[in-house]
Amino acid sequence: MSLLELKNISKIYGELKALDNVSLHVDQGEWVAIMGPSGSGKSTMMNIIGCMDKPTKGEVLLDGVDISRESSKALTDIRRDKIGLIFQQFHMVNYLTAVENVMVSQYYHSMPDEKEALEALERVGLRERARHLPSQLSGGEQQRVCVARALINHPELILADEPTGNLDEANENIVLDLFARLHQEGTTLIVVTHDPEVAEAAQRTIVLEHGRIAREVINENFGK
Amino acid sequence: MFLRMITASLLRRRSRMLIALLSIGIGATILAGLVTIYVDVPRQMGAQFRSYGANMLVLPAEGTVMERDGLADALEKIPPDEVIGATPYRYVRLDMTSRQQSFTAAGTDFSQVPKTSPYFSIEGNYPEHTREVLAGKKIAETIGLKTGSTMELTYQPAARTEAVSPEDSRVPGAELAGNAEGFGGGIVYVSVKLDDHGAVAALEIDAGTQTPEYGGRTAEDEGFLGQFIGKTLPLTLGEDVDALSGATVTSEAVVQAVNSARKAEKAAKPQTLSFTVTGILTTGGEEEEYLFISLEDMKTLTGSEQLDVAELSVSAPAEQLEAYAEAISQENGAVRARLVKRVTRSEASVLEKLTALVFLVTLVVLLLTMICVSTTMMAVVSERRREIGLRKALGASDGSIRAEFLGEGLFLGLLGGLMGGILGFVFAQAVSVNVFGASITFQPLLLPAAILVSMVIAALSCLLPIKRAVAVDPAIVLKGE
Repeated sequence: MSLLELKNISKIYGELKALDNVSLHVDQGEWVAIMGPSGSGKSTMMNIIGCMDKPTKGEVLLDGVDISRESSKALTDIRRDKIGLIFQQFHMVNYLTAVENVMVSQYYHSMPDEKEALEALERVGLRERARHLPSQLSGGEQQRVCVARALINHPELILADEPTGNLDEANENIVLDLFARLHQEGTTLIVVTHDPEVAEAAQRTIVLEHGRIAREVINENFGK
Repeated sequence: MFLRMITASLLRRRSRMLIALLSIGIGATILAGLVTIYVDVPRQMGAQFRSYGANMLVLPAEGTVMERDGLADALEKIPPDEVIGATPYRYVRLDMTSRQQSFTAAGTDFSQVPKTSPYFSIEGNYPEHTREVLAGKKIAETIGLKTGSTMELTYQPAARTEAVSPEDSRVPGAELAGNAEGFGGGIVYVSVKLDDHGAVAALEIDAGTQTPEYGGRTAEDEGFLGQFIGKTLPLTLGEDVDALSGATVTSEAVVQAVNSARKAEKAAKPQTLSFTVTGILTTGGEEEEYLFISLEDMKTLTGSEQLDVAELSVSAPAEQLEAYAEAISQENGAVRARLVKRVTRSEASVLEKLTALVFLVTLVVLLLTMICVSTTMMAVVSERRREIGLRKALGASDGSIRAEFLGEGLFLGLLGGLMGGILGFVFAQAVSVNVFGASITFQPLLLPAAILVSMVIAALSCLLPIKRAVAVDPAIVLKGE
């Protein structure tokens, strides 16, 4: 079943075509990586999928709803309800503890529930660090808190932007293991990266070049 | 969670918030202080103005003499606790024979002077005993007086011009005294004793002011004096009495003095007392040309307890003062009271100007506080752009971003207002004690009012920063720095 469908979308800034007639189909439960050099249109695509930008042309169907013509207020609601975001820079609220950072996401979504937030931290192995401030956590720990935050509201889609870009190998593996577990539980994952190793962990890799899909690689070794 | 986020934001990001809190707190402090002083100021100003001198004068009514009893009666018309001071004055000219100069001397009650004339600045001390004098600065400079100097002062009764006629005094056995202007303006004094039939039995002449070898001889010349004995007053020069040769003018004065003589008063003759200077008075006004002595000495010198004026300092609003003045003037014919209009009127006009000033300062402080808080919040917003973007990316609506920043602002306003309300009172108290020399009462409404105003200011200051915060694009969180 299709969760996300991009139909012939273009994003044009004056002369520059950041995205040029791109179409993409992602099924429910699929794990897709998007790769490409800088300037290839990765970020623009990510913004559009993440409901933070709208295409100049084309349609974006998320869970059957066309989000390409929605108001920014409606986009905020959709993003909150359906998408969990993970960023390269982690982005934690630096004056809130780990568990509070998770609860912020609950707060905007529905009701903060500390017990549930602690369980989410447990899943990423940080139950013990729940009361620490971001400055007291390592980069890997911060990113794991962000994973917990992204999945706390049970989103349809987890969108990760260079999730391991600032991590060492050990932490990279921890995060990828977490993704694998989420995938097994049926969560749809779209991971933007330029790290081939991260891309290889996904079922399918889309390679963007000059705003177009250059090629699509199916990972034969997935799950092995 | 909302409160948890706001308090965490304020508590764990202290330095920034401390600046905003401080500006609100200081603003609120000054405002609360000003308002407190302002509320208290009419009372303070009243006291302050009375310190610039008396605001009511009690004077003898036309053609009457006021003594201390009359003043006491007048004071009964005013509640005792409203009378700050009542200072009687009696002004006469006293001669300083050693320098052949005369000065205005004021007899007064030194215990009252500081109350009605607090601006008197004295080098030395107020006189505490009789025979002590407080000298005005100008007099002191003119004749070189210093604290501890002594001076002799003489009271010269003026030439008789009063209404009581000499005829009424010429009863048998009476002792009469008179004077008249003699040669060169000097006064000639006489004492006359009448016998049982009303004729002159004895005559004494004081011609000390006349030329000794001419007019001065009238006092000793048996032949001249003898002419008066046994005669009935009035006398005529050239008929009853012949002039002493070479002293016609003085002889004429003696006859005039005898004719004008009436029942002797104690002070019909000059009285001289010696005084010690206890202090030099500086006022910047005409008081510097006066000598101040006690009423007791004034009585010894002049033989009368007459008062020329009493200065009153009364603690009451202008209308009430007028009512008191009217009551005093109507009660008995002996005294009348009038207000010192200059002081009471300027009190009102200064209060008006002060109101305008307080209003202006309040406005400026409010504005400055708003600018300061607004600038700080603006800095906070740009500092937290990333966080705001993150919150929006996580699904925060514009409304919740607004609510969070407004919440922080209001919380700051609450704390700042609380701080300002308390510190403001302390500030007002300090100002009041230092400037007005009086403490003020705490206004219970001040605290909630200060908090409310601070919160409103904080909220208003946050409007622009909030607009900025809402405009942050959530997409900024996606890419790098």
